[in-house]
Amino acid sequence: MLPPFWTLVETHGDELLAHARRLAGDAAEDVLQDALLRALRAYPRLRHAEHLRAWLYRVTTTTAIDHHRRARREVVTDEPPVVATYDTHDDFEALISGLNDTAQVALRLRFVDDLDYDGIASELGCSVAAARQRVSTAVRTIRESYA
Amino acid sequence: MTPLPESLLESVAAAAVREGLADALYTRLSTPIGRLLVVSGPDGIVRVAFESEREDVALAEVAAALGPNVIGSDRELAASRDALSAYFEGGEALHLPVDLRLTHAPFRRAVLEKLREVPLGETVSYGELAARAGNPRAARAVGTACARNPVPIIVPCHRVLPGSGKLGSYAGGPERKRTLLNLEGVTSR
Repeated sequence: MLPPFWTLVETHGDELLAHARRLAGDAAEDVLQDALLRALRAYPRLRHAEHLRAWLYRVTTTTAIDHHRRARREVVTDEPPVVATYDTHDDFEALISGLNDTAQVALRLRFVDDLDYDGIASELGCSVAAARQRVSTAVRTIRESYA
Repeated sequence: MTPLPESLLESVAAAAVREGLADALYTRLSTPIGRLLVVSGPDGIVRVAFESEREDVALAEVAAALGPNVIGSDRELAASRDALSAYFEGGEALHLPVDLRLTHAPFRRAVLEKLREVPLGETVSYGELAARAGNPRAARAVGTACARNPVPIIVPCHRVLPGSGKLGSYAGGPERKRTLLNLEGVTSR
């Protein structure tokens, strides 16, 4: 049984904001606001009620990275990226970087946002079978590229 | 522990409501009978909890029935807060929409529906309310329905008194019942 979402926010909100600040500096509040909204979209479809704190950290990390990418696209700057290194995530992003966009998005929804196939299907606007197909094809592609 | 900025939380709540992501909203309100937790679903207020109740249990109960996206927001529930303040401060009658889905037993639900019709300033006996709900012999079941009323104050179980005219029992404790009745101009023995 999933706990009320706001109970998580009241319990972990301050540390998530600190995490967002490490990743995104002054944009921390914007990042966390977006991250909480993203989390709310996915929350009812999570497959289990475990590791919710870790899941919120992942959503916040992904959101910070997306913000940073968007900011980089919008403003050309000499400043080095403020996004801190986040090993697991960087490894994951490196792993999927060779795939096409659709495959990357499917894998992020599955392994970063931790959605089930119903959730992935509704995010991608495709059938559950198609969502399953996209994830498994993407995983196979990665596996073969390392074979 | 520094809580998150109120503005951030309210922005998330407002965006969630706009996107239709909220299963339920809640707010906390200071009143003459202590802090109240007020929870609203899409069809009306589903739960009111006294300070003496466990808030996490009340919210978990709502999440189980309506969905896990339970969100705190004073601003999104401003209308309910204003109505409750007007009741507590100015003795104005409450006409907030109520959703009784947390009451599953049909007779209890019938009791609470009938109880909603008892206006401010009036009281009803357990036996009389049982009769109005369709079973004059079920005064004891009316007592249970009131004790488990998920929406006290708004569904006014404090207006139900024993035939003796005494105060009788109350889920929130007799002192709260007395305060509410006094506020409504009713004196009990």
